[in-house]
Amino acid sequence: MALVEFEGSSFNVDEDGFIEDFAAYNESWVQLVKKEEGIDELNEEHWKVINVLQDYYKKNGIAPMVRILSKLTGFKLKHIYELFPSGPGKGACKMAGLPKPTGCV
Amino acid sequence: MTKQSPANIATIPDEGVDKGGQRLTPEQVTRVIRRMFEEEGGARLKIYIETCVHCGLCSDACHFYLSNNKDPKFSPAGKVKQTLGIIIQKKGRVSIDFIKKASEIAFTECNLCKRCVMYCPFGIDIAYLMLFMRRICHKLGVVPQYIQDTAHSHSVTMNQMWVKEDEWIDTLQWQEDEARDEIENLRIPLEKEGAEIFYSVIGPEPKFRAQLIYQTAVIMNVAGMDWTMPATPGWDNSDMCMYTGDDEMAARLKKVHFEAAMRLKTKRIVMGECGHAFRSVYDVGNRHLGWKMSPLPLIHAIEFYYELFRDKKLRVKQKYDIPVTLHDPCNVVRGGGLHELARYVINETCSRFVEMHPNREHNYCCAAGGGVINCGPPYSKKRVIGNKVKADQLADAKARGAKIIIAPCHNCHAGLEDIVKYYDLDMEIKFLGDIIYECIDKT
Repeated sequence: MALVEFEGSSFNVDEDGFIEDFAAYNESWVQLVKKEEGIDELNEEHWKVINVLQDYYKKNGIAPMVRILSKLTGFKLKHIYELFPSGPGKGACKMAGLPKPTGCV
Repeated sequence: MTKQSPANIATIPDEGVDKGGQRLTPEQVTRVIRRMFEEEGGARLKIYIETCVHCGLCSDACHFYLSNNKDPKFSPAGKVKQTLGIIIQKKGRVSIDFIKKASEIAFTECNLCKRCVMYCPFGIDIAYLMLFMRRICHKLGVVPQYIQDTAHSHSVTMNQMWVKEDEWIDTLQWQEDEARDEIENLRIPLEKEGAEIFYSVIGPEPKFRAQLIYQTAVIMNVAGMDWTMPATPGWDNSDMCMYTGDDEMAARLKKVHFEAAMRLKTKRIVMGECGHAFRSVYDVGNRHLGWKMSPLPLIHAIEFYYELFRDKKLRVKQKYDIPVTLHDPCNVVRGGGLHELARYVINETCSRFVEMHPNREHNYCCAAGGGVINCGPPYSKKRVIGNKVKADQLADAKARGAKIIIAPCHNCHAGLEDIVKYYDLDMEIKFLGDIIYECIDKT
């Protein structure tokens, strides 16, 4: 675990670079992580994915399946990977402030 | 109070281990350990422990040992000595802190890859010994939180990622729809009784990597295979319970998997590119259930792809031209002997192949397998630092031209991604299925 400071916010991150506590999320977290995830500027579509992930996580305490993410955003699977090159589990969840998913990932 | 040496205190905080430890009393620890030794250890455990002469040949086989400046703490025999060795010496009277430390060693410092077993002059199965330690930890409820969450998902849903039944079906139908844009009339046949092939995958495929199901559907359709997947639990062939020491649950998972294939009266099981799942159905879970081998024919994706090319069911349109290397996964190569078949498939599909050294059954583990990556972020640094030899091995293959690493195993995939990133190797990791999908003639 390490403390990272960025634009006046501080975040505790785990060794895979995910926020330790979802409550600590704010928009500067996204700005901090985007470069690492290979994203130059976030567009409306990125934000749509991030918002859906956060809503779902708040309600269910777990990241949604990529199928649900596709349904709720209207994006095809390929497009989700174009938006987040490291994928919905490692890339998009990390940016949205969700914990690292468990399992073989 | 017994005096603790610093080596006996757990170094990495983990909620699963810490809370598990709080629930225990020293008497419970001793009672559970003694029962485990009497009821399950038996002659096998005794012979392994008594036969080891501490010759040290296992040490140089272990990536953790080699990558940590040959620190004897990380040698396979050293890891046994620090865990079961002390338990035997103290006749089971060990502290709760000791169990927490032993849990960390058994769960996060050994991938159960069995490379050391190959170099042991007596063939002592050190992976079995580490698993025996893990089983004690499971019985005591002192298991790292992330992997225990996965085991919980297995026991609730019969898959490793909390996928609900309707979500599984919906995902297959969704990928069928998306793939029909590419291949006209493509089907992902659900619940097809009497099909030749029962195809099973692991949880992450429907959860996040549904493109792998898409690709398989394309390969199956192009090759004209008679295949099916179940609409019920049993579709997930993975088994983290095998690695948490929950043998009862591991057996239950395999039973559900085999029974789904039998209920549909399929001829054989073909499984996706996963290593530990292969171990669980080919070597471990079948035996827990009382079968010497799996109760119906079963093959890993590597062998399936080999058959498809051998029988000319697939035709390569243009060979994959970026230089590739192959990471031989422990469970399918050291455990299943599929190394030459993997090379056959690569020769069929790729124009430039660079061997890594060592290779085949001598390959170094990815350090993610054996449930280690599943223990989650608290141990990620230890895992990548503990596999510098892999980074050196990859860098050498890269210096000889390799740009892509083919890893026909999910855990290897994720583990190598972490190594490539940490050591800044700038290489890409692919499944065999990714390559095949890209280069076959789909018309």
